[in-house]
Formats: sequence, structure tokens, C-alpha cells
Amino acid sequence: MRVMIVQGLQQAYQNLFHMFAEFLPRFVVMLVIILSGLLVAYALRYLVRTTLRLTKLDRLSDEAGASRVLRMAALPSMTELLSRSIFWISLAGFILVGLSVLNIAGLQEQVSRFLHLLPEIVIAMLILFFGLIIANFLSRAALLAAVNAGYTSPKTLSWSIRFVIWILAITMALEELSVARETVIAAFSIVFGALMLGLAIAFGLGGQQLARDFLERNLGDRKKEKTEEPQPL
Amino acid sequence: MPEESLLGERYPELGRQLMSVGLTDLLVAVPSFNNEATIERTVQAIEESYQRNFVRDRVVILNLDAGSTDRTTEIVLNMNGRRSGGQRGIMSLRTVHCVTTQYAKVPSQSEALQLILTSADLLEAKACAVVSATTTNVDANWIANLLRPAYKQEFQFVAPLYTRGKYQGLLARTLLYPMSRAVFGCRIREMYSDEWGFSRQLALDCESQNVWKNEEIRARPEAWMAITAMASGYKCCQSFMGPKVAPSGPAPDLVEAIRQTVGNLFWCLEKFESFWVGRSGSDAITTFGSEHDLIEEEPPANSEKIFDLFRSGVEELESILASILTPETHARIKEIAALDAAKFRFGPALWVRTLYEFAAAYHRGVMARNHVIQALVPLYRGQLYSFLLEQANSSPDEIEADTESLCREFENQKPYLVEQWKAKS
Repeated sequence: MRVMIVQGLQQAYQNLFHMFAEFLPRFVVMLVIILSGLLVAYALRYLVRTTLRLTKLDRLSDEAGASRVLRMAALPSMTELLSRSIFWISLAGFILVGLSVLNIAGLQEQVSRFLHLLPEIVIAMLILFFGLIIANFLSRAALLAAVNAGYTSPKTLSWSIRFVIWILAITMALEELSVARETVIAAFSIVFGALMLGLAIAFGLGGQQLARDFLERNLGDRKKEKTEEPQPL
Repeated sequence: MPEESLLGERYPELGRQLMSVGLTDLLVAVPSFNNEATIERTVQAIEESYQRNFVRDRVVILNLDAGSTDRTTEIVLNMNGRRSGGQRGIMSLRTVHCVTTQYAKVPSQSEALQLILTSADLLEAKACAVVSATTTNVDANWIANLLRPAYKQEFQFVAPLYTRGKYQGLLARTLLYPMSRAVFGCRIREMYSDEWGFSRQLALDCESQNVWKNEEIRARPEAWMAITAMASGYKCCQSFMGPKVAPSGPAPDLVEAIRQTVGNLFWCLEKFESFWVGRSGSDAITTFGSEHDLIEEEPPANSEKIFDLFRSGVEELESILASILTPETHARIKEIAALDAAKFRFGPALWVRTLYEFAAAYHRGVMARNHVIQALVPLYRGQLYSFLLEQANSSPDEIEADTESLCREFENQKPYLVEQWKAKS
């Protein structure tokens, strides 16, 4: 009996030792991969930040109105945002590769699925980001043009443009992620079509006077309009 | 040599025509685009001026056409033919040469000016002038008034002065002149004008600068040239021309005029920052003829519409104005927008403060620069309506006194511009 207990304990110890002996090198490899990843991520962040500063991306971002969108979302400058994104994406990649070395059942499959999806996720995020910037820029341009031309309801026009571009960007991002592809395309077509039809009906039935004013202003006798403001120069 | 590459590579035919002309003393350039109604009179006025005022000098007329689809080019070529029946494009009447060429497919004042400067460099012209083909009443005296100071009196830049109607040129009177005077310290009234003169030295300085691709000077390179002259310490002057008849056809669009001129002014503020930041006050410059000449005219009809556009602009653009203006200035503008139209007044102090904050916002790039400039349009309309109300019964002298007072307000508040300009976003 005593011998059996000792043998059992020895067996358990040997198993444990064997497990540790098998796990420890993998764990060390994982740590090495993650630490190397950290160094590589820092190096990449430095490289991207320096390159973007040299190309004066922040100035371009200011001019395109992107910086303001970032400030509104309490985000750092474009250069900082991109360099930090590169840091975290590369570090996440190394962590996942490191975890896959541990050979934990089930985890490997999830890691591989995530790694496979990573480029699509990044592209989808970029599509949304640039969609936001373009929507902001174009809606502001439309608002300014409409206000300066004296059109009625300039905000409606501006918001319509913003809304259509958002819908387009969200659809493209979901399409990139292959999320319910058919449903998304059908939903986009329905929303976009309904919006256009709604606008056409509203303009045709409810906005006859507006349409007349618009056409007269743009295609009618311009001299009458111009006499209101004296010659600027 | 820049002239060799531009004329040799892009405009070899023009280069050959200029080489045939030889060295000249004076050059008058006429950029044109579909000006068949006015071009003949303009070229005749230049010839007349040459014959009457510069008899012994070697002179040339340079017509740069932006691809007119009407008879503009044909008229200029026929004028050559009428004189000598000689070679197309080059013609001599005593010492008068007339060279014509197509320089672009769409009008671009900066491209035309670059070509004028290059041509002047090649011909070694001592003084040059640019005259607009859209002006309907150019006469021989105008040409002499623009050329003489640069040719005979050692001035490097010659700006014109015109007789103005009481309500004409208000963008220049209430914004461009006072702001450029306060910032750059030089009292040139008509910096944004279609006619101006300059010396060979200034032409060479400007020609060598790498600015020609900039969108900001595409339509209005003359103000950049004037500011270059100021920043280089060159002597500038003004010459009185008399009345200027506005070109026929639709009046210029206010939004486009503001985009071209104010956009150019703000861009020049950045480009010449080191020149103006430390300066204060302003210097008078030599003026040949009357310094200002205002005549009575009918006020514009339906001016309440201008106030409506101001008020709706302030309301609709609230979020845009909030990111351009300081909270105090924005609040004050909203306050005056709520006033009754008859009691409305856009005071000079608030107007100056508003403009300086716009200039700083343009500099900091709080949004697309073109959008900053466009957001100014409703506020300018407010200032315009205020002017129309206040000056309805004012005499020309009273209006002139008010302009001077506005200029002093701009000068007094210049430290605020510097402070805003240097502030971090």
C-alpha cells in the first residue's frame, strides 16, 4: 500500500515534471517572441512617426479637416494615431504568434482565425476612418456653398450628403469583413433607393416653389440677383 | 537661366518672336480671354501712349491669350497686318512691336505673369505694365502713368488708383486695403487690381521665386508682387488713372472675389510672416495725382437681402464659426445678428477682431483653408450691410474719414493678430 502511494506520487511528480519540461521551453519561446515583438513594435512606431513627420502628414490632415474630426473624437494627431496603431497591431500580432507556440487546444484555431481576419479588420477601420473624413469635408463644403448662395435648408443638404457617405462607408466596411454580404448590399440598396425616391417625391410634390426658385436662380436672369450686392473690387 | 527653359521648352514660338524683337526699354502686357469687344481699343491705347509719351524708346506690346474662342486673337493679328501687312504675330511701327501668343487653354493670371516676367527678362525691358483686356476704358494716359514711375523715377512697383463710386470696391475699402496696410505697413490702396506697373529689378526678383504652382496666386498674382516689393524694401507708388468702367456682362461673384483676394492675402501673411510680425504702423507712399476720388451713386437695391444672408449665415454656420472664432467674438457676432435690421451695426473693432481671428484660423489650419475663407462671406455681408446703412447719407469726405479710422483700428489691433497667429491650436 505504502509502495503504491509512493509510486503514484512519483508518477504524478514525473508527469508534472514532464509537463513543465514540455511547457517551459514553449513558454520561454512565447516570452522571447513577445519581447522581440515589443522591440519590433517600438522600432516600427519610431520609424512610422519619423517618416510621417517628415512628410508633414499632420499639415495635410489639418487642411483636409481630419485633425478636427480627431480632436472631436478626443484622438491624438494623425501621425500619432497611425504610429500608435502600427505599434499595437504589430504587438498584437506577435502576442498571438507567441500564444500559438503554447499549443493550447482550441486557442490555436482562434488565433489563426484572428490573424486571418486582421488585414480585413484594419482595412475596414481605414474605410470607416476615411469615410468619416470625406463625409465631413464634403458636407461642410456643401453647407458653405449653399449658405453663401442663399439656398434654403442648407443643413438638410449638408446632412443628406454626410448620411449617404456614412452609409456607403459602413456598407463597404461590412463588405470587407464579409459580414452578411447579401443582406448588407440589399439593405444599402433599399436605404439608398428609398432616400433618393423620398427626396424626389418631396422635391416634386412639396418643393415646387423651391424647385422654381432654384431653377430661376441658376438658369434665369442673373442680372436681377447681382444688383443686390455692389461690385466688390 | 529660367527664361531659357520656359521659352525654350514650353513656348519656343514666343521665344523666337521675342528674339526677333531684340532688346526693348518698355513692355506692356495684355492677358486676354474672349475679349473681342475691348481688345482693339486696349491695344490702340497702348500704341497711342507709346507714340505720344515714349517716342524715342524701344517698346513692345505682348498679348498673351488663354485660348479665346471668339475673335480676340484674330483682331490683334489683324491690327498687326493693318500696320505693315508683314509677318503674322510680329509687327513694327517705328519702334512699336506687337507680339501675340497663346499661353494656356484656361485663363491663369499667374501663368501669364510668369511668362510676362520671363519675356521682360529676355528683352531686358526696363519697365513693364500689365493691362487688363476686360477694362473697357483704358486710355493712353493710363499706360504712361503706370510706366513712367518705374522707368524714369526709380519706383519698383506702381499701383493704380481709380475714381470710384461710393459703393464700388467695398471689399477693397473695408477689408483688403486696411488689413494689408496694417499688416505690411504700406499704404497701397488698390493692391488687387487688373492694372499695375513694375521695374526690371522687381521682375527679376519675382521671376526667380518658386511660387508659380500655388493655387493662391493663380488668379491674383499682382498682390503677391506688391508685397514682394514691400518685403524687399523697394520703393512703391500709386498713380491716379481716373474712372474705371466695369467690364460688361455679369458682375463678379462675391464668393469667388473673396476666395481669390482674401485667400491670397492670408497666404501672403504666411509667406511673408518674418517681414510683418515685428512691424507696427504704416508708411504713406508717393502718389501721382489724386489720392482718392469718390463719386456719388445710387445705393444698391434690395439691400435687406444682404442682411438676411448675413443672419442666416451666422445661424447655419454656427459650428464652423465656433471652430474659427474665439468664444467671445462668436458670441458678439451672434448678438448683432439678432438685432433689428434698421439698428444693425457691425462695429470696426469687432470687424477687425473677426478678420484677425480668421487669418489665425487659416494659419493654424483648423479646417480646409478654402472653407475658412468661404465661412467669411456671410460676415463680410454683415459688414457690407452695416456700411450701406451707416454711409447712406455720408459725403465722399466722410466716407474717406471713416476708411482712415478703420485703417487705424486695424493698426491698433495688430498685436492681437500677432498673438492669435502665434497661439497654438
